Parts: sequence; C-alpha cells; structure tokens
Amino acid sequence: MAAEALVPSSAAEAVQLFGDGKDITVFAGGTILMPEIAAGRLKPARTLLLHRSGLDELRIDGDVIRIGATVPVAALVDGSNELLARFAQEIGDREVRAAATVGGNICATAGLGAQRGDLGAPLIALGARVRSDGKGGERTEPVEDFLAGDRSGRLVLEIEVDAPKGAWSAQTLRRRHAHSYSVANVAICSNGDGLRVGVSGIGPAAVRARTVEQSRNAEDVLKDVDPVDDALASAAYRQKMLVVLTQRALDEVGKA
Amino acid sequence: MRLTVNGREHEIASAPLTALLHVLREELEITSPKAGCQQGGCGTCTVLVDGEPRRSCLTPVVMVDGAAITTLEGLGEAEELSAVQAAFHNKYAAQCGFCTPGMVVAATALIERKGGAVDRDDVLEALGGHYCRCTGYVKIVDAVMAASRGDVEAVADLPTPGESEPDVLVKGSPA
Amino acid sequence: MKAVGARLPRYDGVGHVTGRTQYVDDVRVGRTLWVKALRSPHHHAGITKLDTAKAEAMQGVYAVITHKDVPRNVYGHLEGLGVPGDEPLLADGEVRYKGQPIAAVAAESEEAAQAAVEAIEVAYDERPALFDIRLALDPDAPKIHQWGNVYPHYGPYNHRRVRKGDIDWAFDKADVIVEGVYRPQAIEQMPMETQVALAVPEANGRLTIYSCTQAMYFSMGVVAAHLEVPLNKLKFVGGTVGGGFGGKVDTAADTICALLAIKARRPVKWRWTREEEFLSSSTRAAWHIEIADAVTSDGWILGRRTVTLHDSGAYARFSPYGVTKHAFHHSGAYSIPNLRFDGFVCFTNRVPSTAMRGFGVTSVSFAVETHLTRVASVLGIDPWELRLRNANRIGDTSGNGVALKDPSTVAVALAAAERVGIELPAEYRQMTSDPRSGDLLPEHLVAQQRLNGEGA
Repeated sequence: MAAEALVPSSAAEAVQLFGDGKDITVFAGGTILMPEIAAGRLKPARTLLLHRSGLDELRIDGDVIRIGATVPVAALVDGSNELLARFAQEIGDREVRAAATVGGNICATAGLGAQRGDLGAPLIALGARVRSDGKGGERTEPVEDFLAGDRSGRLVLEIEVDAPKGAWSAQTLRRRHAHSYSVANVAICSNGDGLRVGVSGIGPAAVRARTVEQSRNAEDVLKDVDPVDDALASAAYRQKMLVVLTQRALDEVGKA
Repeated sequence: MRLTVNGREHEIASAPLTALLHVLREELEITSPKAGCQQGGCGTCTVLVDGEPRRSCLTPVVMVDGAAITTLEGLGEAEELSAVQAAFHNKYAAQCGFCTPGMVVAATALIERKGGAVDRDDVLEALGGHYCRCTGYVKIVDAVMAASRGDVEAVADLPTPGESEPDVLVKGSPA
Repeated sequence: MKAVGARLPRYDGVGHVTGRTQYVDDVRVGRTLWVKALRSPHHHAGITKLDTAKAEAMQGVYAVITHKDVPRNVYGHLEGLGVPGDEPLLADGEVRYKGQPIAAVAAESEEAAQAAVEAIEVAYDERPALFDIRLALDPDAPKIHQWGNVYPHYGPYNHRRVRKGDIDWAFDKADVIVEGVYRPQAIEQMPMETQVALAVPEANGRLTIYSCTQAMYFSMGVVAAHLEVPLNKLKFVGGTVGGGFGGKVDTAADTICALLAIKARRPVKWRWTREEEFLSSSTRAAWHIEIADAVTSDGWILGRRTVTLHDSGAYARFSPYGVTKHAFHHSGAYSIPNLRFDGFVCFTNRVPSTAMRGFGVTSVSFAVETHLTRVASVLGIDPWELRLRNANRIGDTSGNGVALKDPSTVAVALAAAERVGIELPAEYRQMTSDPRSGDLLPEHLVAQQRLNGEGA
C-alpha cells in the first residue's frame, strides 16, 4: 500500500492536517475501515490516524460528560451514563469495543448489508452536542443536526452529553449473538416538559423522531424514519418492530 | 516502526496501514493468529497488545507502533504449557484447532483481568465474539473455567504394556 | 484394545494450544505469489469479451489464466462413478452463477493480484436466471444447463427412483392420506479456515500441492484430470484442515493454483476471503420434499409417495450421489412395504451445492421424522408408539429390498425415550428387534412378506 499515513500529536494538528476533509481518510479505531481495505473496497491514498491526537479523553464536568472523538466504545460500557452503556454494550464484542470509538460510531455510514451508528439513538435522546471542525470552521451542534447534515468535511472532536433529567428507555433489537449488527434501536428520554426520541440501526444515520415526541403515538415513529432492506432484516420487518420498540419505550418512560 | 513480539524486538518494514495480523503472519512469520475473516468478526486473529486482547486484523500496525504484542506462541511451550493451554488440551477444547489461538489468548486475558476463578457468564462475555465450528463451545467454556480455578489434571497417554498384561495379539504373531 | 474406552490426549492437541499446528496458509515457501480470481458478477450471462492483456502487463503480475490455459477444462467430480462432466474449471463463453471463476491472477501481493483482476477486460450479456427448483421441470423456465434443467443420467430416467410393492393398493386401502412439504434450506459450512491452496513447482518437474482438502486422493485425481498429467506428477501434502464439514471436498483452489504455478514457474498461494467463502463456495443444498403417507387409523403406514427436488446449483458436482443417498433413506428407519420415490437433481443459477455433514440424508431424515409426527398428530396416536410399531425389525426389508439382519431402531428409540424421561406403556418398553409376529404382524405385512419372498 502506498498510502501516506499522517499521525498528528494534538487535536490542533489533526484539524490542520484534516483541512476541509477532501482526499483524506480519517482513522479513529479502524474497526470499520480495516475490513473495507482488506476487501479492496477502500484504497486510501492519505490517511489521518487520530490515536495520538489527545482526542481520547473522557471528562466528567459536573452533569456533563465530555467524550473525546477517539474514546473507545468500551469506556461507555462501564461509564456513568446508563443509557449510553446499554447501547454501547451491544456493539461488537469486547475486543471490538476496545478499539471502536464513539466518534467513529457516529460518523459511520451504512455497511455492506448492515447498518451502523447505533450510538446515535441514545445520543439524540440525551440531547447530546457534537463539536467538530473542518470546512467552515469549528462548530457545536445537536447530534441529530450533525447526522442529518453533510458530514463530509467535518472532523469530530468531542461529544457533550448531559445526564438524563428524567425517565429514559433503551430498546435494542438484534440477532441473538455477539457482534451482530442492529435490526432496530429506539432510545427515549423524558425531561419533564417533553420527550426526545432517537432511532438508529435502520438506515445510514440515526434520526430524531420528532412526530412521535409530540403525539406519543408509537406508529408515528414511521413518519420520521425510512428503514432499509439489508442482509439482516427487511424494511417491512423493521417498520413493524420499530412501532413495537417505540411503544415499549413510551410505556417504560411513561411509567417512571 | 518497532514492535516487541513475545519479548523480542523487531523493526517493522510493512506499510503503516498493514494489519497487525499480516505483519505478524507475513513479515515476522508468526502464524498462530489466523486470517479467519479479516473483518473482526471471528476472533481467530486475536492477540494481546500491551496485555489487552485485540483483533489484529482490525489494527493498522502504525497504531501499535512501539507496543508489546503477545501471541499464543508467547504464552507457553510444549515443555511448559500455561494453565489455559493445558486446560484446552486436557479438556479437548480444540478439535481442528483453528480457533484455538484466539480463544486461548482471549481466555488468558480474561483470567488475568479477573485475577481468579471465572464463571460461565464471564467466559461468554469475554469469548462471545469468538467462533468455533467444531466443538460446540461447551468444552471451551469448561477449559477456561477450570484453568481459572487452577484445576488442570493431565490426560495421560496409554501406558506401555507391562509383562503382566495380556497381549491382544496371538503369541508369535509377526505384527 | 486398550485404547477403546481410554481417555487419550489428542496427538495434535499440544500443537493446537501452542500455535505450532500448521495449516496450509501457515506453510512458508520462498518466492510465493498470491492469487486473486475474476468472478462473475451475474447469475447467468454470456461472456462477450474476455481480454487479459492489460492484466498480464501489470507490474508484479507473473501469470494470468483463463479457460484457454486448462488442458481439460470441463470435468465432473463424479466421472469415476459414471456421471458425465459438466463443469468448466474456468468459465468458457458463459457464466451460470454469481461468483463463478472466469480468470485467475498470480502476482507479488494480494493487492497487485486484485488490481490485475480489475484490469481484465470482460463484457457480458445477461440472461434470465432460474432460482426456484419447483420451476425446473416447467417447459417455460429458462434453460440453464446443457442437459436441460434436470440431471438426466439416472440410467434411462431423469430422476432417482425407488419402487417397492404396490403403491396404488396402499393409497386405495388407506384410511387417511397425510401430506406434508418440507424445505430444508442451504447452509454454509463456514469452517474457520477458508479455502486455501499452495502449489509449488519442483525442480524435478512434479508439482507439490499443499491442500486443505478433506479427501487427498480424490483431489489429486481432480487436479490430474484437469491438468491431463499422470498421478505421479503430483505430490499432495495434507495436514491439519481448519474445519471442512463437507465444504472442502470440491477441490476449490488446488487446480487453479496448480495451473498458475506451472505458468508462473513459482509457488502460488490462494487464500479465499471470508466474503468469497460466503458468496462463492459451495454450500449444503436446499431441498423441496413432498411426502404423502397412506396410513390406517390404527397407525400402520401402508405406503409412502415422495417427490424430492434437490437444488444442485449451476452444475452437478456430487448432487446425483447426494440424491441417491437421500433415496436410500426416504423410508427412514421404518418398515413401509409400498414405496414410490422420485428424486430430481435440479439445476439453478446458484453456486453449485455440495456435501455437508450427512450429505443427502439429513434432509430426508428431517422430513420423514417431522412427517411421522404429523401423521401421529392427525391420527391422534402417541408419536413414540407410531414409530415403535412401524420400526424396522429383523426380516423387514429396506426401501430397495434388502432384508434387514440387525436393525437398531427399536433399541435406539427406547433408549432415547428413557433419556428424555418419556414413560411408555409396558408393551412398548418391552419391544425388541425380533422378527414381527402377533400384533406386530398385521395382515398387509404378511401379504407383503410373501410378495417379497420373506417370512415364515
């Protein structure tokens, strides 16, 4: 491989080398990119490896958790935020979680025949914010906006997560063995004056389901999401299951 | 780049994005980690990186520059098997043996991490991402739990026939 | 006999747990080249263009082969058993399954080999594909095999047939006809070690092939046949196979490596990726099995009609043999005096299917046992008692008329019932495999025994 491998030693250097993200492949944990390279589907010419950029800090700042982009998914499994832990523990297996990163998870696009980016659902439900840099400079935005926008040209630096302010529910559906990808995920947080509903595992990016937040009618989750067919599950099955998962989450949040 | 593998330092010539798996197998000719899927899905490539179990097929070597790598070869040899190695052998936890390197490495790390006896849930959590197509897993789980308890009794080979034992063959047979 | 019953260490156990066991991909031979294949992206298509010139000219490429390089391209795995050859090693003019190999490259690295594969110029004209074996006999279905869509060489028939007794009498006499359709699906063997081969041209003109085959001499014969060389030109080195389960009998990598090694004059290794394994390697076949049992209300099976369709995929490989094994076992472990079995080997535009643990028999065992439970349910009879009554006994005959000398159905069924805690009535618990008599010898079996020249 004649790839040029750049290893910045600070976040600032990483941002500077990333530029506007053109013609550069960002390596966080590598768990998504290495299989693509092994299969010959990805042949990066320039790579930016973040493992020395100091982006792997997990800091607790009062009620806010600041998760660096390259914090491993494993760190969330035993972490203080139980909603995140519930989703994190389903990703891959122990060894994959030790290498996979939170930033990599939310920047992931759909795989060949499987969906990714599971953490998007609880992060949306928790009202998390993504701080990123790149084309257009540094900005902080809600996770759902980051995911819905044009992610090319953005280098994720940090994710800020508030502790849940009220009841929450984690509903995950996958095949029954380790490191299976998702069929569908729903996360709901209630904070007294409203709900936040995040859905992941059903398409190329996690989505905020605003209609059901207002109506509290589980079927309305389908008004904001467009599940795909893939190797694991059909769109039709996902649609049916999403309604069930949403109902369960609404019930759990409602009971608390 | 530099790697210490099983206690020995090596200068690495492979390109930075080469998977640690291939650096080990093709450049250093250490072949116990296997290329079962090259997608991180099967566990046959698992090695220890600074003591932690990692999928070597998912690890670009540049990301472990300077690290200490341990493969199955570094855990023990025929003359002195580790507890986990002995348990796998004595409890028939290996049939074709292809998943065995990854299993033994991951099990060794589990027992080290727990610092004592492990139960079935511990084993399933640590080894749950490792596939075996031969054994049905029961003997693997038994072997790991037994090793963690220090409960490893050897399986002896057949004793050579003594004079008092009857021969199966007819006396005078040329066989 | 000291070893029987003794707990002995595996002779390869220490090698396994110390990482010393050597699999084909662990064998190191200097100057080895790596292989990648051009595989069909289409289920069924004509090849209108195939030009390897650009690939051959690429840096690091030592050999490229197509069908033109194969001394004998079309061969059949069962030619030794009289099944004519139908499958090209490398596609010639057409492709019949997605993943079918068309060309192969040997180069200095896997990346270089893959880049060369991508530089091969190839064009296709797509054709309608057939996937549903139930349509194989339909005259309007796309014709996808030179023999038609069904294997035609079972003697004068296009199916494996079993005929015993008088099936029409059985269906006429029955109190109830119980029907069922059973469709076991294809299964990928998924050994942890993928297909792999290393071919080394020796100075003395022979070829050493490190093979993961489950059947060394068989694969040696396949390679010798394709290369048109005598067997003594080949040296096969086996060793530890990282799991096969039937998936490593098709000699999937050895022959192509051999040809590339000869052309490149260097050792050549082909290690399949897991994706290739899932998408292009042969699997257990899918089956469609229709059973109709003619039964009496008191639980005698007078006769059975069976039609089996077997999904052979694009080529025959071992399927004619698999359906034959299936046919032998279609009456199960039970004495059914009147049988009519028709088993069809159907071609589809799928990866050719092959063996997997119990090849041909697991499918029919699943079907007949499930069916018997259905029969019991329809008749309102205990399913154990139904089986024990109809179980094979000494003097009963098999589906193809062989008198049984030592059937074990009764003993095994009783042991199984005890193991799972089923309490059977005393008369059943006392059953043996002794020749039928009394209540276990109803009128129709007496007549059948006379017809078959058996019994007292």
